[in-house]
Amino acid sequence: MKYLHGTECVRRLPPGQRNWRTPAAHKMLAALAIAWGLLAVPITRAQSAKPTDYQVKAAYLYNFGRFVEWPAKVSATQTGSFSICVLGEDPFGPALDATFAGEKIGNQKVVARRISDPHDSVDCQILFISASETNRLNKIIESLDKTAILTVSDIPKFSQRRGMIQLVLDGGRIRFEVNLTATQRAGLTLSSELLKVATAVRKDRE
Amino acid sequence: MTHLLDIRNYSISKKLTWMNMLVSAAALLLACGGFCAYDLYSFRDALVRNVSIQAQIIGENTASALLFDDPHSAEKTLSALGANRHLIYAQIYTHDGQPFAAYWREGARQALPLPIIPSGQTQIHWFRGGHLGLARSIIFEGKPTGIVYISSDLGAMNDRLKSYAVIIAVVFLASLVVALLISRISQRVISEPVMQLAQTVHIVSQEKNYSIRATTNLNRDEVSTLIESFNEMLEQIQQRDGALQQAHDELEQRVRERTTQLAVANKELDLRNREVERATQMKSKFLASMSHELRTPLNAIVGFSDLLAEGTPGQLNDKQKRFVNHIKQGSTHLLQLINDILDLSKIEAGQLELRSEEFLVKDTLPEVLSTIHPLAMAKNIRVEQKVESSSLVKADRVRFKQILYNLLSNAVKFTPKGGMISIDCVDVQDFVRVSVADTGIGIRPEDQKVVFEEFRQIEGSADRAQEGTGLGLAITKRLVEQQGGQISVASELGKGSRFTFTLVAAEPTAKVRPVVEPAMSAMVTPSSRLIPLVLIVDDEGPARELLASYLEPEYRVVMAESGAEAVKKAQQLRPDAITLDVLMPGSNGFETLAALRKNSETANIPVIILSIVDQKQVGFALGAADYLIKPVRKPALLEAIRRHVPSPADEDSSILLVDDDPKALELLAEALRSAGYETQAVRSGTRALEVLANKVVGAILLDLLMPGMDGFQVIRHVRQEAAFRELPILVMTAKNLSQAEIALLNRETQGLLQKDGSWKEQLIAEVGRVVRGHSLAKSAGQP
Repeated sequence: MKYLHGTECVRRLPPGQRNWRTPAAHKMLAALAIAWGLLAVPITRAQSAKPTDYQVKAAYLYNFGRFVEWPAKVSATQTGSFSICVLGEDPFGPALDATFAGEKIGNQKVVARRISDPHDSVDCQILFISASETNRLNKIIESLDKTAILTVSDIPKFSQRRGMIQLVLDGGRIRFEVNLTATQRAGLTLSSELLKVATAVRKDRE
Repeated sequence: MTHLLDIRNYSISKKLTWMNMLVSAAALLLACGGFCAYDLYSFRDALVRNVSIQAQIIGENTASALLFDDPHSAEKTLSALGANRHLIYAQIYTHDGQPFAAYWREGARQALPLPIIPSGQTQIHWFRGGHLGLARSIIFEGKPTGIVYISSDLGAMNDRLKSYAVIIAVVFLASLVVALLISRISQRVISEPVMQLAQTVHIVSQEKNYSIRATTNLNRDEVSTLIESFNEMLEQIQQRDGALQQAHDELEQRVRERTTQLAVANKELDLRNREVERATQMKSKFLASMSHELRTPLNAIVGFSDLLAEGTPGQLNDKQKRFVNHIKQGSTHLLQLINDILDLSKIEAGQLELRSEEFLVKDTLPEVLSTIHPLAMAKNIRVEQKVESSSLVKADRVRFKQILYNLLSNAVKFTPKGGMISIDCVDVQDFVRVSVADTGIGIRPEDQKVVFEEFRQIEGSADRAQEGTGLGLAITKRLVEQQGGQISVASELGKGSRFTFTLVAAEPTAKVRPVVEPAMSAMVTPSSRLIPLVLIVDDEGPARELLASYLEPEYRVVMAESGAEAVKKAQQLRPDAITLDVLMPGSNGFETLAALRKNSETANIPVIILSIVDQKQVGFALGAADYLIKPVRKPALLEAIRRHVPSPADEDSSILLVDDDPKALELLAEALRSAGYETQAVRSGTRALEVLANKVVGAILLDLLMPGMDGFQVIRHVRQEAAFRELPILVMTAKNLSQAEIALLNRETQGLLQKDGSWKEQLIAEVGRVVRGHSLAKSAGQP
C-alpha cells in the first residue's frame, strides 16, 4: 500500500497542473511524482515508527520555545544560543540532542544542557526538571523565582506547585497544563496558540 | 431552411427590422457573453484567493495544534469554516502526510488522499467536477509544519451565473424591445420609399395606367435615383403606349377601309363568278347538244357504210367496196375525233366524272385486247402480255380501259407489219405500273416532249396511213393524271417506243378481291342456266337454309353470308334474283344493294329484300325489286320471286326500236336482224307505248333524245306498268349523260350503249345478254 501511495499521486495530480498541455510536460510531471514517491517511502517508514514519550517530550520542549516570548533583556544578554536545560537525571537519553540538532529558535541555535544545580540554570531559557528532583521541587521553584526561565516538568501536580508547564499523559497522548500566574511572575509571554492547545490553564490567586 | 425561406419572402420593412434585431441581438449576446466570461474568470480568481486566505488562516491557527499533537484543537479551528457554506471539506495533514484533523460540511466522508505540493511551491489549486480544490503547506516560523487541504463547491459561482442569466435576460429583452422600436422607426427611411415604389409598380402593372408617377422623397440616395429612373421609364412607356395606340387606331381604320374594299371586290368577284358559271353551263350545254347533233348523223354514216361493206343490202363490186371503206374509215375517224374533242373539253371544263373503283388490271385486259386484236392481226402484229401485278388498281374502270386502249391502238398504229407489242404490269410500292411497248418507228427525242400535247402528231412519219386525231395521248395523259398517276414515254427512233403509266394501288383488302373460283364458274353452265338461279344473302345460317328449302327445287340456290360475298357472287354467277337480308354485320343489306346497283354487271339483277325492319321506302329508293317483312311465308316468297324472275315461258323476243331518226332505226333494225332478232321500229315514245300495250316484246332499244316524249319519259311510263316492270330496256344514245342520268338509267334499264365507234358488236352482245336474261328459254336458242 505504501508503495502504491506514490503511483496514486501520479493519478491525482492536481488539475491546476493540467493546463500544462504538452505531452513532454506530462511525462516530466509523472516522472517527478514517481521519483518523489520512491524517495518518500523510506522516510515515511522511518517516521512511522512510533516515537517514544521522551522523543515527543523533547520535541515539545523545543516547540514551547517557539510559542513563548522572553523579556528582551534576557535575550540580549545571551551569547547566541538557546539553551534547553535538563535538571537532574536525564530521562531523554540521546533523543534530546537528536531533536535539537540543527534547530533554531529565532536566530539562536538550540542547544541541550544537562545541569544538577538549579543555580546553573542562569543561561537556560527552558528548564526541564526531571522527576528525580521531585523531593526538592519547592526549593528549586523558589530559587528560580522571578527569573525568566520557562520551567517544564512531568512531575505530578507540578503546575499546582508553581511550576509553569506540566506535561501530562492524556489518553496515550502527551498533553500539558499551564500555570499562567507563574509564567507572568517570571515575565514570560505565552502565545495564545499555546494556551489554546493546553489541557488546562491555571491562574493562582495570590 | 424553411425558416430562411420564410424570411426571404418577408417585406423589405420586415427584413430590415429583422436584420436590425439580429444585429442587436448578436452584439448584445457577444457583449454579455464576453462580460460574463471575464467576470466569471475574475470571480474564479477571487474565489481561489479567498479559499487560499482561509487555508492560510487555518494553517496559522492550527500550527500549534499540529506541533502539540492536538487534533481536537485543530478540529475546533476547522469547524469555524462552517460559516462558509460553500466549503465542502477541509483536512489538515501532518508534515509527514498523516491525516490530522478534518472538517466536512455534511456528514462524515472518507479522507481524501493528500495532494502533492511540488517543492518550491506552498500552494496549489485545481477545478474539477464542479469543485475547487486547494492545498497549502502550513509553514510555522519558516518550517513546513503540515498541509491544509480545502475543497469548495462552485455554488458561489453558480449563484453568480444564475443572477447573471437573469440580468442578461432582462437586459437582452429590454434591449431588443428598444432595438425593435428604433429599427421600426429607422427602417422606414429605407423601406417606405421602396414600398411606395413597389405599390406604384403594382398599380401601374395592374391598371396599365402609365400616367401614374411614383412620389419622390427628399433623400438623395439610391432609392430616390431608382424612383426617378422608374418615373422616367414610365414616361417613355406612356409615350410609346400612346404612339402604339395611335398606330393601332390607324391600323384599325385601314383594316376597316380594306375590309370595305374587299367586300366590294368580293361582290364583283361573285358577280363574275356567276357569269363564269353561267358561261360554263352554257358551254356544257353546247357540248352536250353538239355531241348529239354531230354524232347522230355520223352514226348513220358509219352504220350504213358498215352495212354496205358487209354486203347486207346486196353485194358490191370492188370499186364500190373500196369507196364504202373510204367512207367508213373517214366517218369512223371523224366520230373518233368528235368523241376525243368532247372528252378533252369535258376534262378541260372539269366535268369529267371519275369513279373510284378497285379492280385487277388483269381483269380488264381481255376486253381491251378483244378490240385491239383484230387491228393487230390485220397488220400481223404480235401482242404479248406479261401481267405480274397482283394489286388492285384504284381508278375508273372504264377510263382505265380507255387509257390502255389509246396506248395500244397508238402502238398498233405506229408499228410496222410483223412487229410486236408487249404489255407489262408490275407493282411498284403504292403504285401499279403499266407499260405498253412496241417495235414501231419510235419518236425523236425532241418530239417526246410534245407527244402528250393536244393536236400533236409526229410529223414526217414515212407512212401517211398513220391516222389519228392527235388527241389520244393528250386525253390519256390527263386521264392518268386526274387519277393520281403519271405517264411517260421512252423511245428510240426506228426501234420502238415504250409508254409507261402508273396508277394508285388500292389498299389490299380481302373483301373485294374478285378471284374467280373455278368451282363457282363451273356451276354456271348453259344447261343449268335453264333453271333460274337465286342468290340468298343472309348472315344467319338457319335463315339461309329455310329460304333455300322454300325455293328448291324450283330454283337453283347459292348462298352468301355477307354483303361483300353477295356482291362477289352476284358478279360471278349473275343470278336471276337475289334475296337480301338487311341487318347484317359489316356491310348491311342497303349498302349491299347500293353496291350491286352501282356495278353495271349486277345492276339489273332484281333484289328482293327480306327484313324484319320495315324500311320499304329506303329499300325501294335504293332500287329493291321487292320488299318482304320477315318472317316470310313460303307462298309470299315464291310469288315475289316469280314476279321478278321470268319463268322460261314462251315470249315474243322481238325488239322494239324507238328512235326519232329513221336512219338510225333502219341501221339498228338491219344490224339486229343480221344477228337473228326480230325488230319493230317506232319513231316516237308515244308510239312505243302504244305498241307495248298491244304486243309482247322481248326488249326495248331506246333512244333518249326524241321530240315529244323523250327516252326518260318512256322508261318512266314503261316501269309504271306492272307487266313491264321486268321488260329489258336498252338505252342507246349519243347524249352526254350526267352522273344522275347514268344512275337513273342503271337503275331502270338493263343496258346503256353509247352511239360511237364499235357500237354494233356491243349492241348485239348487250341485246343478247338482256334478252337471254329476260327469257331463258329463248336465250338457250340464240347463237
